[in-house]
This record gives sequence, structure tokens and C-alpha cells, in this order.
Amino acid sequence: MDAICNWCDALLSNPIWFYLITTVLKLVLMFAVILAFVVISVWIERRVAGWIQDRPGPNRAGLPLFLLQRFGSKEKQPLKELLHFFGIPEGSCIAKLCQWLRFDREIPFFGLIQPCLDGGKLFLKQELTPSYVRKAYFIVAPMLVLGPPMVAAAVIPFASSVETAYGSISMCVANLGIGPLWVFAISGLSVYGLTLAGWASNSKYPFIGGMRATAQLISYEVAMGLSVIPLFMMFGTLNLQEIVQAQAANGWTLLPLWGEGLSPQRWALMLPLLISFLVFVTCVFAEANRTPFDMAECETDLVGGYHTEYSSMKFASFFMGEYAAMVIGSAIVVTLFLGGWSIGFGADAALAGICPWLAVCCQFAMFILKLLAFIFFFVWVRWTLPRFRWDQVMKLGWLVFLELTVANIFLTAAVLYFVK
Amino acid sequence: MFESAFCQIVFYIFALLAAGCALGVVISRNPVTSAMNMALCFGFVAAIFFGLGAQFLGIVQLIVYAGAILVLFLFVTMMLDIKAEEKPASRNCWLPSAPALGAVLIGTVFFGLVSNLSLALPGAQDSGCPAKALCSSIGELALSPTAAPAAEAPAAARFGGALPKLDPAAAARALKPGISPEEAAAATSYPDVKLLAQCLYTRYNIAFVILGFALLAGTVGATALARRIRKN
Repeated sequence: MDAICNWCDALLSNPIWFYLITTVLKLVLMFAVILAFVVISVWIERRVAGWIQDRPGPNRAGLPLFLLQRFGSKEKQPLKELLHFFGIPEGSCIAKLCQWLRFDREIPFFGLIQPCLDGGKLFLKQELTPSYVRKAYFIVAPMLVLGPPMVAAAVIPFASSVETAYGSISMCVANLGIGPLWVFAISGLSVYGLTLAGWASNSKYPFIGGMRATAQLISYEVAMGLSVIPLFMMFGTLNLQEIVQAQAANGWTLLPLWGEGLSPQRWALMLPLLISFLVFVTCVFAEANRTPFDMAECETDLVGGYHTEYSSMKFASFFMGEYAAMVIGSAIVVTLFLGGWSIGFGADAALAGICPWLAVCCQFAMFILKLLAFIFFFVWVRWTLPRFRWDQVMKLGWLVFLELTVANIFLTAAVLYFVK
Repeated sequence: MFESAFCQIVFYIFALLAAGCALGVVISRNPVTSAMNMALCFGFVAAIFFGLGAQFLGIVQLIVYAGAILVLFLFVTMMLDIKAEEKPASRNCWLPSAPALGAVLIGTVFFGLVSNLSLALPGAQDSGCPAKALCSSIGELALSPTAAPAAEAPAAARFGGALPKLDPAAAARALKPGISPEEAAAATSYPDVKLLAQCLYTRYNIAFVILGFALLAGTVGATALARRIRKN
């Protein structure tokens, strides 16, 4: 036992091994979070869609209790029997709550059965590659859509750094000095997947879908990059971990209520920051190819868009890529504008004073919570707004957002220069 | 020791891969394959930049070239008739001279490398170059002791001598004058965005603005050519 401890100690004392081990652990955690979130966001999407459109399906479909009677259960009303067994009166709060949750009619599954069956269906479907496609690109394209969002996640910090006996661990996989640019660059590469899918399918509608995807992603990447420049001007750094630390100390970008965030300059900056937030979030929607910007897979004019010729898991990986892009987009919005992992109101420093690992755990939970909230927002928008027309999308990108973001940069510079 | 050896190995791997992809661009008959090879080549060049510590340049390479320009290339290539492009090119009278021209080109490039022409780049000899500026602002601190030019080639001397080595501690000291020696020594990466920005927007500001106007003129010209003027 001692020998093992000593060996571990020696291993961790070597800075290179320490770095490698912690990086691999962080990498595994990050991957697990993203893959889990791809599944969770599909689930959220179904439930919220059902909720918004007033469809009972995804929210209410459980195992109906009358089935139990078919299988030989003699009890007519299991819930009543159960309440009686525990001695709970029928008119009490608990009984009403049970009734509200429909326990008297079915065993609820919270809509979890549907995603499971969906996954099974996609796995078991026939994998069909049409004979007229360009094989190599046809196979590579779905991977090119799914891969980039996973890589882009490397720079997103999910907790503050923690000091251990062997050295300090910064809770993001790669603490690069160019964090947000890395995310833009890598997630911009997923456009190759869409374009190649459209071209390799060798069929008209997918081709138009691929072309639309390319044009849209390029147009909105410009506005996206320009929209966050005011933020960098304010923070003076491109390192995401440092940006979040500044927000934890001095108030989130959109909620400067503690620390030095209450200065007049910071309040004057709220207008440009709000503009940047609106433009950036819209661009994230466009980059993730989600309604109202899903021109590339607009089924009313394009059959199915760039993935018309795909089936089974190749088709599914396009959608996994879309959801992964949505998760990464939410993560970067949360990190830049909503405080990232910071709990806020000075709680980070207080918790770190008590126990650094407790602080890290709370911050991680906070980050996940914010991420979930923003994914909910994503889904909410999707099921609320109708799809744009193609020329409207292009007009919005080039004629509104480009000018607005450039003007916003000058406005920020003026505020930084004149208001002290 | 470990780090430098590792960096060298990574550099040579990525350099070979980049060269291979560049060859693929020329060799492949399918224009889309060529374009994809070029994208890979840009990716590997970006990786080389990352390996050298120039993260910002690497990411700009990815955003601008791989993410935007090449996608436009692909956009246009996909409109071509691929079957016609894949046919072998018709023989013409200039074809025999191609190998000779290629050999001359490669020979010139190697001659340039050997005669240290790379030091004749504008700015290598004046104080606006970030490496040089850093040295002059903080004296000998930035000069690594091994870079003493004992027996430099005369060409190198003529063009301002070998460039001094940048080190992170010196860069940290140059950007934050009040930094403590321990903190400066602990710096592991260059604030390359700041170094580049300082160089570009102070020393080369006018050239930068002129370049911007040249690009703007190009854009306006292209728009004017592409736009059909409707009469009525």
C-alpha cells in the first residue's frame, strides 16, 4: 500500500506526468459532459416542444396503469391502495400532488423512453449508401460535422483553478491565450462537413442545402467575430479563464452588481454590451444551424437539405453535430456574457476561502445549471419563431449585423475613452 | 531539453504533412480533392505556428484561410463540371518545358534559403521588428546567451544580423514594467496578440492602413463588376 502511495506521489511530483494526468482527466470529463449534454438537449427539446405546442406526447407518455390489469393485477386503482397502505388521507397535499403528477393513471417515465427508442431506431435502421454518391466524401462529411464542436470545447473553463500539493490545476483542458478565437475557428470548420455532404450526395436539393450552409456560416462568422470585440476591449484579454475570473470578481458582463462592476464606466458600457450580446446570440443560432436559421435543411424548399441522401447513424451524426454545436454555443455565451462558472455576488471567493475543492464543485454545478438554462432558451426560441426566408437571412447578416457591430466597436471605444 | 526536442519532432512531422498535402493539391485531378488537400495543408501550417508559440497567427490561419477563403474556393469548385476537369489535360507545346521550370523554381528557393535571404525581409534590420524592439527596450535581457554572433556569415551582417531569440520572461517584463522577477520567470507563453498588435499599429501603422484601403478598393471593384446596372 505504501509502495503504491509512494509511486503515485513520485509520479505526480514530476511536472510532465502531473500535467499529462490532469489534462487527460479534464479531457475525459469535458467529453463526458458534452456527450451527455447532446443526449440531454434532445430530451429537453422534445419535452419543451411538447410543452410549447400543447402536445401531451413527450411529457405525459408513461406506462398506463390499465395495462397492469391486462397482465393480471386485480387492483383497480393502485394509487388509492398505495395511499391507503401508507395511511395518507385522500384529500391531503401529497395525494393531490400525486394526482397532479398523474400517478393514478400511469407510471411516469418523464419522456425518457422516447429518446431511448429513437437512438435504438437510428442504430437499427438500414444503412443505405446510394450508388451515385462520391463515396469517400460522403462518409467523411458526417464526421466533419460531429468532430469540430468536440474539439472546440477544449478551451471552455468549467471551474476556477485549484492549488494542489503538486501544482495548480486550471479547470479547462487547454488554457490558451486566444480562447474565443479557438472556438470560432474550430466550430467554423464544421462548414466543410455540410458543404461536402451536399456536394458528395450528387443530387440537386442536398447540393443547394450545402451551398446555403456555406454562405450562411461565412456571413454570420464575420458578424460573430466582430460582435465580441467590445467585450475583449473591456476585459483586455482573450484568455477565457481570465475573463471568467474577472467576471467572478467584478460582476458578470450583463449583471455588474458587485465588486468594481458598479463604476459609472461599467454602467455606460451596458448598452454596447447588450448589443453585442443580442448579435452574438443570434449569430450562435445561425452557426448552429437551428431554426429560425435552419436554411440548409429547410424541408419545405429542400426536401431534407444536405442530409437528404443519408440514413441511419450517418444521418444521426449530423444531428448529434448540430446539438453538440448548440451545447458549445451555449457554453461560450454563458462564459462570455453570463459569468461562466462564477456563482456571483462574491460567493466564489468566500467558498474558495472555506475549501477550494468545494468551490470547484459548486462552480462546476453552477456552470452546468447555466448551460441547461441557456439550452432551454435555445429550444424555446426554436419552437417560438418561424423560419426566416433565405434573402432575409442574408440581409440580416450583411446589412444589419455587420454595420451594427462595427458601430458598436466605436461606441465602446468612445465610452472607454470618455467615461471614467 | 525534453521540450525543445519534442517541439522539433512535432515541427518536422507537421512540416512533412503540410508538404505532402501541398503536393496533393498539385497532383490530384479532382478540384474538390485539391481544395480539401489545401485545407489540410493550412491546418498543418497552423499547427506549426502553434508549435512555435505563435498561437494568434495559427488561429488566424485557421479562421481566415481554412475557415473562410478556402470555403469560398470550394464553393466555386463545386460548381465546376468535375468529369470534364478530371480528364487528362491536352498536350501542348509548352508541356516539355514544365520540369525544367519546376527545377529552376525549386533551385531558386533553395539558393535563397542557403544564402540566408530570409534575413533580408523588410524590418529584420530596423528596430520596429518585435524581437529587435524588445531587445533594444530592455537591453541584453532578451538576448539568449547562446545567440552571440561569433562568426556570422557576411550576408547576415549586411542584413542586420541574426534575429535574437524571444523568450517569455523578457516579453513579460517588456509589457508589464512593474512585474517581479519571479513572476516574469514563471511566464511560459508570449503575449503574442499584444506583441503583434503593438508592432502592427505603431511601427507599421501606415502600411497597415494602406493595405486596408487596397483591399477595400478590391472589394469595391469586384462589387462594381459583379453588379448589373438596371436601366429605368
